[in-house]
Amino acid sequence: METLSYLSQLLNPAILGAIALGTFGGLIIGALPGLTATMGVALLIPLTFGMTPVMGINMLIGIYIGGIYGGCVSSILLRTPGTPASAATVLDGYPMAQKGEAGRALGMATVGSAVGGLVAAVILATLAPQLAAIALEFGAPEYFALALFGLTIIASLSGDILKGAISGMLGVLIACVGADPISGVLRYTFGISGFASGFAFTPALIGLFALSEVFTQMEKLATGEIVSKKITGRWPSWQDLRDSRGALVRGSLIGSFIGIVPGTGSGTASWIAYNEVRRSSKTPEKFGTGYAPGIAATESANNAVCAAALIPLLALGIPGDVVTAVLMGGLMIQGLAPGPLMFQSNPDVIVGIFGGTFIATIFMFIFGMALIPLFSRILMIPRHILSVSIVLFCFIGSFAINLNPVDLYTMVGFGVLGWGMQKFGFSQAALCIALILGPMMEANLRRGLLQAHDNLFEFASGPITQLFLLLTVLSLAWPMIAKRLARRRSATTQENEDQ
Amino acid sequence: MSQIDERRSDTVIGMGLLAFCVFAAWRTLKVKVQAGSTIAGPSFLPWLMIVAISILSIVMILRAMRREHGATVSVPDRAALVKIAIFVALLVAYAAAFMPLGYLVSTAAVVIAGLWLFGERRILMLTLFPVALIGTVYLGFTEVLKVWLP
Repeated sequence: METLSYLSQLLNPAILGAIALGTFGGLIIGALPGLTATMGVALLIPLTFGMTPVMGINMLIGIYIGGIYGGCVSSILLRTPGTPASAATVLDGYPMAQKGEAGRALGMATVGSAVGGLVAAVILATLAPQLAAIALEFGAPEYFALALFGLTIIASLSGDILKGAISGMLGVLIACVGADPISGVLRYTFGISGFASGFAFTPALIGLFALSEVFTQMEKLATGEIVSKKITGRWPSWQDLRDSRGALVRGSLIGSFIGIVPGTGSGTASWIAYNEVRRSSKTPEKFGTGYAPGIAATESANNAVCAAALIPLLALGIPGDVVTAVLMGGLMIQGLAPGPLMFQSNPDVIVGIFGGTFIATIFMFIFGMALIPLFSRILMIPRHILSVSIVLFCFIGSFAINLNPVDLYTMVGFGVLGWGMQKFGFSQAALCIALILGPMMEANLRRGLLQAHDNLFEFASGPITQLFLLLTVLSLAWPMIAKRLARRRSATTQENEDQ
Repeated sequence: MSQIDERRSDTVIGMGLLAFCVFAAWRTLKVKVQAGSTIAGPSFLPWLMIVAISILSIVMILRAMRREHGATVSVPDRAALVKIAIFVALLVAYAAAFMPLGYLVSTAAVVIAGLWLFGERRILMLTLFPVALIGTVYLGFTEVLKVWLP
């Protein structure tokens, strides 16, 4: 009964309107090349101030879901992925658009995204409460080991593991600025009272993901091209849907599974789903030539990640990917602390998020289908107008959180840092997650060591702690193991060919 | 866009990180450590991170020096870099002027200057767009979201 009453709050027109607005805004942001869902969520967090937690968080989830879907638009029409999550959609989407079937490709992407999103929303509502119940048993060492695992897996999956690890550690060190979480001793504040509670998290995120993109746009402005294409049709054919049944199921399940693993994200999910669906297809040669199942696989996988990535965030307080890390900032602004205790203290918000994920996916489908003929016009919005508007939102959004002018400098500083990191291959995602997990890691490490009287063996004696520490070592060693395995496999293939 | 050798950029960044670690270590020495029964005081995690970043920076420098062929990193050419530097300076000035000058005046100046830097030269765009943007954001935040702006 309680669950039904929590769900009924979603029928409030204001909440429905906020979800619709968020999904629509996310779709536009995702459709524009260079503007990512992460940026959209970071930039629009300040708009959720005056909202109730359910309304605000669901609006941000709408931006996330709309943004990841919107990325397919420029992938299909321009061969330029709107977001990294839709890079694999280029493979079959663009050839289809070149054949004059852009509408059909966009329609297939919309159906795939909706199916993936809905499947993952069911998994979210089923799995998150179970996982939260287990996490309630965790103590300080378990939480420390979990945070360490979350951090290392992101560092190890960010391309260059060395640079990923440096980014993560830098993030932990930056998170140490301000009063220490156990004794309240001030660290690295340089006498500036504005830094006593550390760098404000949301301005840092806005700088890291939104302002840094403006600098990137500034670089690209000279080479920017604006293309206008007429789009006809919007529904995939029955044949497309029949051919794509398996791809939709596989993509949705792969996306859901990958979304649950902290740090992997939509981009990884869509590539794995594409490869898996092609590998198991009876007609693999059709992939890459404008084949609907190719689009269905990538789009169902990347949108499934959206809901699935909320599972570790809500159940464990560990963000599943970089967008959910930013979403965590939105939850914190509302005075909520994601984690297993939230299932007991704020069940209305938890159920509201489960229901909101469904509703946002449905809105995404409606807006996606309705906007297909207009997508080429969205792509024509001049980039410099957009960039200047983003800068203004970055400033006002950063200021509005604490009405503290110091936050403006924080935002600009992190913007420059984010741009530099992007240029030289350092992971912004690892730094961002470290900003969140750093304080959690420190508090639990120190509390755990105090309880264990500084005895490291006693600290790490629990089976869950040992499991997460083992996973941490494996995640760090995995890139090297994978490289060695690939080398051995290619050597074996070479030997076989020689024979 | 111009290209630079990643080996060179990694070496320079690694050295920069080492210098940063020296600075962070100096500041960490100033953190007040309370006498207590545990090794895990307020400077415990910072020291762990400083040592780890230093080691990884040295590894990065050595890796860059040992590589025979480095990949290239595309960096903006001088003109774009100057433009971005001016833009960053403009944003810092905006942050400094935001409270004393107020939202309307400081934002108008930055939006017009920003558009100019992005290459916009049409008078209508340089006048009407800022008015519409600044006005909408102002009304949205102050009237709808009830957020005070200076």
